[in-house]
Amino acid sequence: MNIKSEKVQNFTVLRIEGRIDTVRSSVLENEINQLFNNGEKNLILNCKEMNYISSSGLRVFLVAQKKAIALNGKLMLCNMQPGIQEIFRISGFSNLFKIFETQEAALENA
Amino acid sequence: MKRQKIKYYVVENKMDELSSLAEKIERLADEWSISQELSMKINLVIEEALSNIILYAFNDKSKHEIRISVSKEDNNLEITFKDDGIPFNPLLQKKPDINLPAEERPVGGLGIFLISQVMDEMHYSRDKNQNILILKKSI
Repeated sequence: MNIKSEKVQNFTVLRIEGRIDTVRSSVLENEINQLFNNGEKNLILNCKEMNYISSSGLRVFLVAQKKAIALNGKLMLCNMQPGIQEIFRISGFSNLFKIFETQEAALENA
Repeated sequence: MKRQKIKYYVVENKMDELSSLAEKIERLADEWSISQELSMKINLVIEEALSNIILYAFNDKSKHEIRISVSKEDNNLEITFKDDGIPFNPLLQKKPDINLPAEERPVGGLGIFLISQVMDEMHYSRDKNQNILILKKSI
């Protein structure tokens, strides 16, 4: 798994690449925690290159959403692959996040 | 004519076994011409079942082996897990309420639920000192 970070407008965009599984999900969790701890409230998780997620990865997404809500911030997801969308749908996670087709659409709706 | 393909894996009760197993399952999916989408689901259910076994089935510090088989016969996929841990029936786990808002959604407890959503059937049995979990899906 790789995570690339960039600042776009008033959002930090994390581009998540590869597998978010039991072994690696803590890397993403730490990255997100660090951003929140440094005062960032607005995140876009660009999932274009994320090709696998398990329940431990979903847990990281949920914890991030809870924090964003508590901070009155924004957490948006975009560019999800169809297989990942299906996992979000069957776990009821599609309803917990603002999910956009593209990063541009996410920024426009911010 | 029915043609059954079957592959066996043995892993230790350590989380870092999951990564190398995932690679093996991807190779198997290639060999058996399984779509990428289905291969992701197979990997998902194996990860969820195995991590549950590793977390909850062993109450000692010893090394244990978990035996996994993946078989395909025509359009039927079957994945079996056998371990020598304490009796542990994952089917008894409480189902999460997936309609709760994010603030109220409990963190965790999704693994077995995901298996039940992805697969068509889940069977658990205890045979002597073994937990046996069988997952089936028509593909």
